[in-house]
Amino acid sequence: MVLEATMICIDNSEWMRNGDYAPSRFQAQADAVNLICGAKTQSNPENTVGVMTMAGKGVRVLVTPTSDLGKILACMHGLEVGAEANLSAAIQVAQLALKHRQNKRQQQRIIAFIGSPVKYDKKVLETIGKKLKKNNVSLDIVDFGETDDEKPEKLEALVAAVNSSDSSHIVHVPPGENALSDVLISTPIFTGEEGGSGFAASAAAAAATGAAGFEFDVDPNVDPELALALRLSMEEERARQEAIAKKAAEESSGAENKDHASSSNTDSVMAEAEPASNATADDKKDQPKDDDDAHLLQQALAMSMEEGSSGAAAVADAAMAEAAVDDQDLALALQMSVQDASMSSQSDMSKVFEDRSFVTSILNSLPGVDPNDPSVKDLLASLHGQGEQEKKEDQDKPEDEKK
Amino acid sequence: MACLHDHSCEDHNCAADWSLFNHIDVPKVVALNESVAGSAKSVFKPWEQRLDTSGGFLESNEGDPELLVFIPFTSDVKVKSISVVGGPDGTSPSRMRAFINREGIDFSDAQNMQPVQEWELAENLRGVLEYQTRYSRFQGVANLTLHFPDNFGGDTTKIYYIGLRGEATQNKRDVAATIVYEIMPNPSDHNYIITLVSSTLFVLLSPKLVI
Repeated sequence: MVLEATMICIDNSEWMRNGDYAPSRFQAQADAVNLICGAKTQSNPENTVGVMTMAGKGVRVLVTPTSDLGKILACMHGLEVGAEANLSAAIQVAQLALKHRQNKRQQQRIIAFIGSPVKYDKKVLETIGKKLKKNNVSLDIVDFGETDDEKPEKLEALVAAVNSSDSSHIVHVPPGENALSDVLISTPIFTGEEGGSGFAASAAAAAATGAAGFEFDVDPNVDPELALALRLSMEEERARQEAIAKKAAEESSGAENKDHASSSNTDSVMAEAEPASNATADDKKDQPKDDDDAHLLQQALAMSMEEGSSGAAAVADAAMAEAAVDDQDLALALQMSVQDASMSSQSDMSKVFEDRSFVTSILNSLPGVDPNDPSVKDLLASLHGQGEQEKKEDQDKPEDEKK
Repeated sequence: MACLHDHSCEDHNCAADWSLFNHIDVPKVVALNESVAGSAKSVFKPWEQRLDTSGGFLESNEGDPELLVFIPFTSDVKVKSISVVGGPDGTSPSRMRAFINREGIDFSDAQNMQPVQEWELAENLRGVLEYQTRYSRFQGVANLTLHFPDNFGGDTTKIYYIGLRGEATQNKRDVAATIVYEIMPNPSDHNYIITLVSSTLFVLLSPKLVI
């Protein structure tokens, strides 16, 4: 929102008849000028813009700095193209026009479109630049049209001489498909120091995507409340998903210690798989259930084949955590199923474990597990140690005989 | 009279005399041809700190010794005398020209216009010299422009301190400052920190939402 008075210097020399920018260089320039005027007056209602020519009938001011857009658009009509551009005279005249601006508080800026070859040396241009800098005038240059070897360097030297604290810019626009104004929209010439007014930002977004490809298909300028609401709800949803995923990961990592909810879930999944599958490990791997559970199941089974049972629980938990991270929906489903399993069927789970013969049969079917291993026995013992000690003792005797 | 420090300072407070520093509208101080944008503000400080260059100093661009400093005041003042501390090795300004109550002076204006008063300066590295004004011409000063056209031969001109002595009146020249009339609200005008609570409230209360 800088308060600025701008003078735009238009190049209407013979070189502007060329058609390498559609429809002609001059027309492309005129469109860019219109867009710039709109952006400047929109960003601050007290900004003024003036227009002058560098060639044609000579260096003359068409419109003195004004905030009236209509005058500026009208003066671009009926401009004739011809003769050669006189850059140094044009800059001096622009400086004079800015000096006599009505509101002395406005910053001074010159925007020059340079499409014809530059016949001055670097030294002369640098002196011009220093004079502008001394009087605190910023200069933006749009280098388009004719390209010869030294033109970009000369113009860069000019902008470097004027530049103080990054207020002057130069843009090189090569000929091509994009219109001159589209290329300019994303440059600092348009967006100014703070990175954009609403006008420039929305125009840039529209140009860049070719259509109204805003986030959520809502133009923030047209309906800011709706855009804001949609954005907030998206962020909330994202935060919730992250919280769920984090909780699932925490629960699965904490399952080794005391809370066997998730491991019981894994075991129950494995238990479901066991009776349905054959004895061989390969067959178990190849038994796909649902598409949702298949990948997770196979991972869990594959990992459990490689290690012991206590390792299996941890690795399966890790697999579940990885799967959870990969797929948010799956994580959500798992989380819900874990909660359901832990809450509603806690009693069922404990009953399953109480049926020690069932557990032992499962463990027998796992090739890496030796039920007679004392660590396995301890694990099983701790599973039952939840206030059901009497039942365990009762079962222990017959099962010891079984073994 | 002028305090040229040929007496001991215990009996009066020199700093109090240079009180116009408090009436300078420092954020609106502008300098032309300064090498570091905004460095002109560092030149206005209390009398005791006049030799202290830790806050920066005003230097002109390479090879160009001209400097122009625009000093607006918060109320009309009467300027009795001016003191300027320059830099060493020929970078002190050699002449000073003053203009009163004219905004937007640039170098070509300054060179062509007749100043209200002009002085030949001497090198004043310790800040002991001051230059009297023709007091009758410096009544009711809302802003002061000082133009330093050349120096003692250095490549640039350096100014470490500008001190003004005088009296402040309570009059103000123009009260209407920068007021922006908003036809359309422009968010970059209003730099508020919007908390999530207030923005959700806004979302809830807005009747246009269909969620």
